[in-house]
Amino acid sequence: MTTSQVSPQTTTLRILRGTVTNGKLVQQTQDFTVPYDATTTVLGALEYVKGELDGSLTFRRSCRASICGSCAMVVNGRSRLACKTKITDLLGGNEGKNIASAEATVGDANVIEVGPQRNQPVLKDLVVDIAPFYQKVKDILPYVQEGPEQEEHVTKDSFSQVNMVSNCIMCGACYSDCTAMVENPSFIGPAALAKAYRFVSDPREGNKTERLKELSEKNGIWDCTRCGMCIDACPKGVAPMEAIVKLRSLAMEAGITNNDGARHAMVFKDDIATWGVLNEPFMLLKTKGILGSIAQIPNALNLAKVGKIPNPFPFDHKVDKLDEVKAIYAELKKNPLDVKTKAADSGPGAG
Amino acid sequence: MVKHDIVIIGAGLAGLRAAFEGVTAGLNTAVVSKIHPLRSHSCAAQGGVNAAINPKDDWHHHAYDTVKGADFVGDQDSIDMMCAEAPQAVLDLDKMGCPFSRENDGTIAQRAFGGQNFPRTAYAADRTGHAMLHTLWEQAIKYGVHVYDEYFLMEITSDAGRATGAVVMDIRSGKLQHLQAKAVCVATGGYGRMFAANTNAMTNTGDGIAHAMRAGAPAADLEFVQFHPTGLLRSGILISEGVRGEGAYLIGADGQRFMQKYAPNKLELASRDVVSRSMVTEINNGNGQNGGVFLDVRHLGKALILERLPQIRQLAMDFEGVDPIDQPIPVRPTCHYTMGGIRTDKLGQSIALKGLFAAGEAACVSVHGANRLGANSLLETIVFGKITGKDMVDFVNNREGRDGVATDGSHAVAKVSARIAALKGRPREGGVRQNTIRDTLVNEMQENCSVFRDEARLNQAWAAIQTAKAGLAKLYVDDKSEAFNTDVITALELENLVLMAEGTVATAMERKESRGAHSRTDFPTRDDENWMTHITAGYDHASKGVVLGRDAVRTTGNPQYAPAERKY
Ligand SMILES: Cc1cc2nc3c(=O)[nH]c(=O)nc-3n(C[C@H](O)[C@H](O)[C@H](O)COP(=O)(O)OP(=O)(O)OC[C@H]3O[C@@H](n4cnc5c(N)ncnc54)[C@H](O)[C@@H]3O)c2cc1C
Ligand code: SF4
Ligand code: SF4
Ligand code: FES
Repeated sequence: MTTSQVSPQTTTLRILRGTVTNGKLVQQTQDFTVPYDATTTVLGALEYVKGELDGSLTFRRSCRASICGSCAMVVNGRSRLACKTKITDLLGGNEGKNIASAEATVGDANVIEVGPQRNQPVLKDLVVDIAPFYQKVKDILPYVQEGPEQEEHVTKDSFSQVNMVSNCIMCGACYSDCTAMVENPSFIGPAALAKAYRFVSDPREGNKTERLKELSEKNGIWDCTRCGMCIDACPKGVAPMEAIVKLRSLAMEAGITNNDGARHAMVFKDDIATWGVLNEPFMLLKTKGILGSIAQIPNALNLAKVGKIPNPFPFDHKVDKLDEVKAIYAELKKNPLDVKTKAADSGPGAG
Repeated sequence: MVKHDIVIIGAGLAGLRAAFEGVTAGLNTAVVSKIHPLRSHSCAAQGGVNAAINPKDDWHHHAYDTVKGADFVGDQDSIDMMCAEAPQAVLDLDKMGCPFSRENDGTIAQRAFGGQNFPRTAYAADRTGHAMLHTLWEQAIKYGVHVYDEYFLMEITSDAGRATGAVVMDIRSGKLQHLQAKAVCVATGGYGRMFAANTNAMTNTGDGIAHAMRAGAPAADLEFVQFHPTGLLRSGILISEGVRGEGAYLIGADGQRFMQKYAPNKLELASRDVVSRSMVTEINNGNGQNGGVFLDVRHLGKALILERLPQIRQLAMDFEGVDPIDQPIPVRPTCHYTMGGIRTDKLGQSIALKGLFAAGEAACVSVHGANRLGANSLLETIVFGKITGKDMVDFVNNREGRDGVATDGSHAVAKVSARIAALKGRPREGGVRQNTIRDTLVNEMQENCSVFRDEARLNQAWAAIQTAKAGLAKLYVDDKSEAFNTDVITALELENLVLMAEGTVATAMERKESRGAHSRTDFPTRDDENWMTHITAGYDHASKGVVLGRDAVRTTGNPQYAPAERKY
C-alpha cells in the first residue's frame, strides 16, 4: 500500500448493546469510532469494531453479500441488512438511499445508530431470538403438498407468481418493522405470509384452498394493517404486503368469506370509489408520492392493480386527495389484479 | 448425552440432502449447523447445476468434460456416477418443489457454463443455490429432521477406528453436549476464507474437515484451490460465470480482449484455472489496473443487461461503484472453491475412519480432481448428499452401524470444556488478537500460495503458518461470557482455518508439477508419471502438524479418460 499515511474519514457507530442476566435484558448504547470509505458497509464497520476494538460485540453475519439473511438489524431507525447498507448512504442527506420509500429518519449527520431487530426478543447485543419468527414460517407448512388441486403441467410462466416472493432470504427485516406485529405478537407476519403465497401460487401445490382457509383464520392474512412497512424494509424486493393482498383476493374468490376480515372487505367494496377509503393504491401514493410514478415501479404497479377484487382495509380513513384515488381506482378497473399468471420477479432487491 | 442414528454436521445442500435420505428411511436423523440452515453458504450459488437432462445431451459427455476439467486426477468411478445420476437428482429436487426456470414447453431451462460442450446448466433465475436450499429445508421440516440450529461442532468423537458422534456447543447458551450416532456425516462446506480475496461466506472456515483430520480421517486434494476469474476487485464478491455465458468479454487495461492468446477456441469460457492464469499473466505483464482486469458487458446492450443480469449489475454498482451498462467491471481472480476435503470412498465414507462420512464441498470423493467445473459442485451436493445418505442408511441398518456404539461422551465433553476455559483464561497482556493472526495468514496465503506458486513463495507461506500456529497459543478473547460468544466461535474457526492452510501449503510443496488449479512456475508442466495420485493430509497429534500420504486415483479403464493435454 502506498497511501497508508492518509488519515481516513471516521464516523461514530452508536450501538445499542444488550445482555440478558437472570432472564432480564439490560440495554445500553456504546459509541465506537470507525474509519470508512466509499465501499465500507455497516457490517464492515461492525467487523472493524469486533476485530480491533471490542471482540465481545455480538452480531450475526455470514455471506456479506446480502443473500444469506443473517445480518438484518435496525440502522438509523429502519430494519436493513448491515452488509448491504453503506456508511456513505447513511451520512448527511443520503439516509433514504437503501430504502424503497426514501423517507428515513434524519439523525445526527455523523452518528449512525445501530440496534437489534424489533418484535423479537433480544439475546445479546444485535442478536435476536429468531425461533418465534421461524416457528411461524413452519406453521404455514412450508412445503409443496400433494392433493387434489395439483396441476401436472408447468410452463415457462408457471412460477411467475412464485418468483415474485421466492427471493425472500428470511432475514426478518419486514417482521421487525411490521406494525401489525406490535399490536398482535401472534400475527403470523409478512415473511411467513409471503412464503405461504409462494405455495398457494405454485401449480404443483395440491391444497391451495385448504391453505387459503387456514390463512384466513385469526392471526392470518386479515390481521395485516397494510401499513406498507414490510415493502420498504425488504432488501430483496419481495413486497410481502402485495403477496398478502393477493392471498386475500384469492381467498375471497374461493368463497372463503366467513371471517371478519373478508366481511369487512365486502362492505367496503363499493365505498372505495365513492369515499376514497384508504386502499393499496393510496398506500403507494403515500410512499411513492405522485400518481404518475406508479407506472414506473413494477412492484407498485402490481400492487395497485386492484380491479374487480374487493379492496379490503380494516380501518376506514377518509382521504384528502379523493380525485387521485378515484383516478387510480378507475385505472385499476381497466387492468385487473393478476393473481394467476404474470407477476414481476422480485429481482435483486429494492435497495 | 443424546442418541441419534445419524448425525450430520452441516445444513447446506449436501447436509440437508443426506438428511432427507436418513429421515425418509425412518432413521432418527439430526442435522447440526452453526448458522440457521437457510444461512448456509449454498444460498449464495447463483449460476446453476449441471445435468444432462436434455435428450440431445449425453451424460457421458458431461463425465468426459468433468474428467478433463479435473485434469485427470478426478476419481473416474465417482465422476461417472455423479453425471449418470445428475438428471434424476435435479428432477428429485424439482419434484420437491424447487422452482427451476423453464423453457416454453415446460422443460427445465439450461444455460452454457465454462469448460463444457453443451448448455447443460439448469438454474432458477440467478438464485439457484438459494432456491434449492429453501426447497431442501422445506423437506427437512416436512419430514421432521431434528435440526440443531446454531450449534457449533467442537470435536468428532471416535473409538477404536470408528466414529461415535460429535461434541457440539449450543451457541445460544454456551452449553456442551455429546451427540452419539451410529453414522456421522461431515457436510460443513469449504475453507476459502484462508485467502484474502475470496467469494466465500465468512463461515467457510473448514471446521468439519479440520475436526475429521484430528479424529483420524485424512483429507486429500488440499493443494487444489479454485480461483474464480471474476471476483469484484475490491470485495471479492462473485460475478457469476453466467455473465461470460451471456457473452461478456475480458479486457485488459488497453481495452482489448486477450483470451484468444490463451484459449483460442473457448476464449472467455475456457476452464476457470485457465482463465484465472491468463488474467494474472496479463496483470503481471502490465496490462492490468490496480491489480485487476475488466469484465465488459457493454456490447450486450442495456436491455439485455437489465433483463438477464440485474443482480450482477446491482452488485457491481453497490460494491464497486460501477454501472456495467456504461463501464467495464474491475475484476480479479478470487478464491472461490476448495477442491480438497475428507478423503472418502466412492460412496462417501472416510477411507480411514469407519462410520464417518462426508458430502459436499467438505468431501473429497474427488469428482473435481485438480479443478472443478462451474455448476458441478451444486450437483455434487445433491448427488452425493443422496448417495452418501443412502449409504449411511445402509451402514446403520445392515452393516457395522447396526451394532451401534456405546461410548460415554462425558470425557470428550470435559476435554472440550477445558479447552474453552483455557482460551477464555488467556491474558490480554502479552497475548495476540485473533484479527492479527487472521489478517497476516490470509494475506500471506494470497501472496504466496494462490494462482501461481513456486518453492520460494511456498517456503514463505510455510513460515507464515508457523507464525500463525505460535500466535494461536497466545490468542486471547475479549468476551468471557457463556451466551452467544461469537468471540470464542471465531477463534475456534481460526484454529481450524490455520490447520487447513497448513495442509494446503504442505501439499502444494509436495506436488512438484502443475496440474489444474495448482500451478507451479518452477514445475510448469504436468507430470503424469509421478503425480497421477491424490496427496492425503492427516493430523499428527504428537507433532501437532500435518502428515502427508498418497491415495491412488480411482480409474475405470475407460480409454477416453486417458490423460491428454487440456486445450480449450
Ligand atoms: C458466491 C458463490 C457462488 C457459487 N455458485 C455456484 C454455482 O452456480 N454452481 C455450483 O455448482 N456451485 C457454486 N458455488 C459452490 C457451491 O455453492 C458450494 O460448493 C456448495 O453450496 C457447498 O455446499 P455444502 O452443502 O457442501 O456446504 P455449505 O452450503 O457451505 O454448508 C455448510 C454447512 O455446514 C455448517 N457448518 C460449518 N461449520 C460448522 C461447525 N463448526 N459446526 C456446525 N455446523 C457447521 C454451516 O452452518 C452450513 O450449514 C458457488 C460458491 C460461491 C462462493
Ligand atoms: S403491510 Fe401488513 S404485513 Fe406488512 S408491515 Fe404492514 S402490517 Fe405488517
Ligand atoms: S420478505 Fe424481505 S424483509 Fe421479509 S424476510 Fe423475506 S427478504 Fe427479509
Ligand atoms: S451477511 Fe448475509 S445477508 Fe448480510
